[in-house]
Amino acid sequence: MDSSGWTELNIGPQHPSTHGVLRLKVKLDGEIIKDVEPVIGYLHRNAEKLCEMSYYCDNLIYFDRLDYVASMIMESGFLEAAEKVLDIEVPERAKWIRVIMSELSRIASHLVWAGAFGLDLGMLTPFFYCFIQREKILNIFTEVCGSRQQTNYMSIGGVYQDLQEETITHIWEFLKQFPEKLEEIYKLFIKNDIFFSRTKDIGYLPKDVAIDYGVTGPMLRASGVPYDVRKDEPYLTYDKVNFDVPVSQKGDVLARFVVRFEEMRQSARIVKQALEKLPDGPYFNPKGKKSLMIRVRGNGEAYSRVESSKGELGTYIVADGSVRPYRVRIRSPTFKNLSVLPVLAKDTMIADLVSISGSIDLVFGEVDR
Amino acid sequence: MSLLTVFQSWFSPLGHFWSYAIAYFLEAVVGLILAALSLIIMIYLFRKYMARLQRRIGPNRVGKYGLLQLIADAMKLMGKEVIFPARRDDLPYRVAPLLVIFGLFAAFFIIPYGNIPYFGSLTISHSDVTVILLFAFMAIMPIGEVLAGISSKNKYSLTGAMRAVAKDISFEVPMMLSIIAVVLMSSARTANALNLQSIITSQVIPYGILEPLGIFVFFVATVARASHTPFDLGESESELVSGFSTEYTGLRFGLFYMGLFGSIFLGSLILSVFYLGGYHGPFAGSIGWVWLMVRAFILVLIFFTVWLAMPRIRIDKFMDLGWKYLLPISFINLVISGVLTLGFGW
Amino acid sequence: MANVKEVEEPKKPVPVFSMIRGMGMLGKNLLRKPVTIQYPEQMPYIPERFRFRIFLTLDSCVGCTLCEQVCPNGSIKMEHLDRENPHNKRKIYPGVNFGTCTVCRNCEEICPTHAIYLSHEFQTSRTKNSFYYSPEELSKPEHEVLK
Repeated sequence: MDSSGWTELNIGPQHPSTHGVLRLKVKLDGEIIKDVEPVIGYLHRNAEKLCEMSYYCDNLIYFDRLDYVASMIMESGFLEAAEKVLDIEVPERAKWIRVIMSELSRIASHLVWAGAFGLDLGMLTPFFYCFIQREKILNIFTEVCGSRQQTNYMSIGGVYQDLQEETITHIWEFLKQFPEKLEEIYKLFIKNDIFFSRTKDIGYLPKDVAIDYGVTGPMLRASGVPYDVRKDEPYLTYDKVNFDVPVSQKGDVLARFVVRFEEMRQSARIVKQALEKLPDGPYFNPKGKKSLMIRVRGNGEAYSRVESSKGELGTYIVADGSVRPYRVRIRSPTFKNLSVLPVLAKDTMIADLVSISGSIDLVFGEVDR
Repeated sequence: MSLLTVFQSWFSPLGHFWSYAIAYFLEAVVGLILAALSLIIMIYLFRKYMARLQRRIGPNRVGKYGLLQLIADAMKLMGKEVIFPARRDDLPYRVAPLLVIFGLFAAFFIIPYGNIPYFGSLTISHSDVTVILLFAFMAIMPIGEVLAGISSKNKYSLTGAMRAVAKDISFEVPMMLSIIAVVLMSSARTANALNLQSIITSQVIPYGILEPLGIFVFFVATVARASHTPFDLGESESELVSGFSTEYTGLRFGLFYMGLFGSIFLGSLILSVFYLGGYHGPFAGSIGWVWLMVRAFILVLIFFTVWLAMPRIRIDKFMDLGWKYLLPISFINLVISGVLTLGFGW
Repeated sequence: MANVKEVEEPKKPVPVFSMIRGMGMLGKNLLRKPVTIQYPEQMPYIPERFRFRIFLTLDSCVGCTLCEQVCPNGSIKMEHLDRENPHNKRKIYPGVNFGTCTVCRNCEEICPTHAIYLSHEFQTSRTKNSFYYSPEELSKPEHEVLK
């Protein structure tokens, strides 16, 4: 390969289309991309080490800030592991509330992705329609816990506050108007010829390559692997609700787009069922009170897997019998998904690089940790 | 009675040459002021329209209903620190934004604006070949963009300039072919087929109705000329940061920005002159200017909707569009209009 | 697998007409009301549970330092304050640095006497380096602590 005429271009860390602080070292032959090297670490905050330095109950705020557009799912991921280590039971109602909040979070996260993806391709308007819907979800979050994004809602042994009747009616109101609005946004994208030409057959990810690189989440499902932690290894109460795992065999950017939109519809379905099945009872196990939490000692080790909006979030906690975890390791889905970008973007054009890196759904709080 | 003769009669004591020179100058100033005024209204309209489409309110803090927002923005741009890239090619770097704005305003002088109340005709250029002049001036603008991209010595700018060149070549040819069809039709009706004014007067039936393919090709080409989404390949914010204008700051950047909006406005003016009957309408003798502006602003709104609804097309797909679709369509259009003109005598 | 839904790829839209339809869909939104909330004049939706600023009741604080321990990032520091309070023999009270406070509500949950609590107050603009609230300032409403 003759690389003498190639241009080396740094896309990012400050660039309109790199979500957050991704830096891509790109080698260009004219407009054709010959080589991509993602450079990460501009948002590194040492989250794993910080977790080791604070109490179990305090770790939640670091998990909130991993994937800051879907913080509820991150919290539930940590708590799955932490509650095993600390040996604390979670009441049934709290589990259902966690399911509701996780799925609302997933919808919010996918809406942010859809809007930003539109902006990447140059569509200015759908972004706002997505954010109007997301704002309604954030209002619900404010109602249940008092914060919009970094919620810190779930706590060890349940959730921080109970779900009020008023909030439940608000969630019902949201669900009532949501499918119609979602369909409108979906059509705005999909009925556009240029959008089609920008996404179809771009960034094809074969099944085996996806598995080799450890890609999970909607990206993997768009490549034809029906793998979803919620189905394959149900946590919380996901085994008691009915939902489909959307799968597409195409593996291109368009397939990822369609799969994500179908996931939003399924999430709305899950929330509906969860609201119907929401049992009465305690929402919080008193063993998880904060005043006990700074004295409680964890034992053993635990690994938990949850399906975040980006993929499989793994949390590994080693406890050494002290009040703080000995080691916290986070398997962040976006980091693994990003590693496949050089394969996808090879021999495409700059415009395709933008749409491919947009389709991965990058959130840098999670990649850099 | 026209504006020119009114001005000339004011300065007639200065003799024939000087009175006409000053009168042409003043008329140009008046035309420019009217064009700039419509441009300002257009940018305000764009912001409000975009905001309402996106379910926002738009600017409403500076002045009543945010009317002074544009002036505030211009002041902000003027007050900004001007940063020159260290390895720039100095002369082209400085000249490029001026070229863009010069081409734009020179093209504005050519447009026949029709009549305004009391003064009469507001047509500045009385040349017989205004069609050629118009497109000659419009061809200056891409030179500015290319110079800006190359002289900035920035890889983003350079890529943007290369894209701009490729884009310009692939849409100019169909654009010119669709204009030739218009000239062909008007040549059957008037003696001065290359004069914009006689093109307008010959449009008893607007050419847009006779040549639907032609108006489509010209519309697409105008979007490409104005280079906003879907064809903003030279700038393409999410790919090339800001394309050829990446290294420009302050007022120089403002000139490029004005060039963008100006070419949308100019494009809709030209489109309404060539295809929609220009200033024709009731009472065109006294308020023809208004009819032209109404047509132009409706077109501008359509352009804005295209801008806001479409994603950006990829450069190779755009070349495909230009050479494989627009060029054959414009040839077919040329043949059809020839048949209409000579065969049916329409 | 039972619950796998094969998502079909959408049909390729008709080139020009579908775009015009899409623009029409945008046009529908012209008639809808804007959703902007003009902040200083209009207040955003603030639910009952919305929390931001920390308040302190000096009389009921017992100086147990639990809030300092549970604060995840050390925003709360205990501070000596000469004040007659029979419950607080050590005379230490929490002071909060709002520059780093993440509003996690742990201090409110852990406080045994409900002395420290969070309130709706969120309009707390400060100049740089003046985010620190001493215990006395924490006990006052926001308009009295203006620095």
